[in-house]
Amino acid sequence: MTKHVRDEELELYALGGMPEAEAQALKIHVAECGECAIKLAQSRGTTALLSFATRQEQPAGTVKAELMARIHANREREQDYAWPVPGRSWEPSEAGKALEPEAKKAGGWWNWIVVPAALALAVLSLALSWQNRKVSQVLQEQRHIAQELIQEREETKKLVDFLAANDTVYIKLIPATAAFATGSVRYNARMGLIAYSAELPSAPAGKSYQMWVVPATGSPISAGVMEKGTLSVGPVWLAHVPLNTEARSFAVTVEPAGGAAQPTGAKVLAGTN
Amino acid sequence: MGHLQLSSNWRRMREENHGTSCKVNAAGPKRETTSDWSLLKRIAQEDEEALSALYDRYSGLVFSTAKRILYNSGEAEEVLQNVFYQVWCTAARFDPAKGSFAGWLLVTARNQAIAKLRSKDVHAEDLDENGVWLPVDMESHSDQKLLGEKVRSAMAGVAEDQREAMEYAYFEGISFTEMEQKTAQPLQTLPARLHVAMDALKKVLR
Repeated sequence: MTKHVRDEELELYALGGMPEAEAQALKIHVAECGECAIKLAQSRGTTALLSFATRQEQPAGTVKAELMARIHANREREQDYAWPVPGRSWEPSEAGKALEPEAKKAGGWWNWIVVPAALALAVLSLALSWQNRKVSQVLQEQRHIAQELIQEREETKKLVDFLAANDTVYIKLIPATAAFATGSVRYNARMGLIAYSAELPSAPAGKSYQMWVVPATGSPISAGVMEKGTLSVGPVWLAHVPLNTEARSFAVTVEPAGGAAQPTGAKVLAGTN
Repeated sequence: MGHLQLSSNWRRMREENHGTSCKVNAAGPKRETTSDWSLLKRIAQEDEEALSALYDRYSGLVFSTAKRILYNSGEAEEVLQNVFYQVWCTAARFDPAKGSFAGWLLVTARNQAIAKLRSKDVHAEDLDENGVWLPVDMESHSDQKLLGEKVRSAMAGVAEDQREAMEYAYFEGISFTEMEQKTAQPLQTLPARLHVAMDALKKVLR
């Protein structure tokens, strides 16, 4: 135990003038130290005398009535919610016993109400259960939509960050053949993201256009096929590539529908980083 | 606690514990001199008349204390009602051997009024029912009047800055650091000033 609190400090605390942090420390000590607790009780008593230094006034007469009403109300509430005490609440008083036959008679017609009421409650309970299930389903759907929206927001944010980043490079794609074709690429090696768009003639039957990132070293990396259903924002396709891939050039080739692991077909667009 | 003199209040309480709980003034009209403790015992048995008697005894003091802090009769009456409601709920916890009921009542009223003054969300410190020791008689209004005169006389002998510091702390719940700004008195001297003022109050108890 720490050493006892000085009388002056106890007085200070009792008066209410002690700063909060010190007061907390004192409280902890007093809770453990009987001697200081007694001294604090004495200091509090002394401070209580200050109440006599105030101008004495009387409260409105209604306050007492309100207090009593509050007590009555609370008692009634307690009685309403009280658990039955064996041998007390359920045992009828003498007066109650005298009334018992009447009560039993009353119980006869009461049953006619209890049974339909119980049935009605059962139906209501079923209806509520069904409604509850419906609400749960709707809630589940809403949760799913919310998750999708969150994901979409994340993707959009990522795209905005990508487009606004200083290290995102823009490369114009040049047609490799005489056929009309044009396109562009935005690429950020740090973020491992590529966005590209292209205007190309329809791919030959059974074929798809495929975008490639050609790294400074190693084999070309697929950046996806330009087909319906692949990740795109309007006419812009998006793809992830391994982070920090230093791209030497980009190319679009004609590949079997669905894409190939490595470029096999003719190059239609190309651009150098 | 041995150095404090037991008041007749405590003696009466002990007598009551030995079976003479209610006294009647033999000279003149009947005057109930039931002690706080016997009333509290009855309140613990849910005797509303006992609460009513205790309320009549102390409501003025409790209300005046709260009003001195709040400067608002409505709010002070709210504190008054809450304090006595608390008495109703916790009467059984008071122990005459450990604390002073009237002292607890006044300190609790003060704490609740300060809490109300500071913020609606701040709760008053839970004061143990036996956490105040005030061995003086104040069970009758004449006792209270006499005590009031003694306290005012003692406070009149205290220097103004000392009394002011004490009142700021007790009636406004202002801490030292705040008091320093309010009174423009150096922080280091405040505890000493309060101690002197407290000493003056203690003399009332001797």
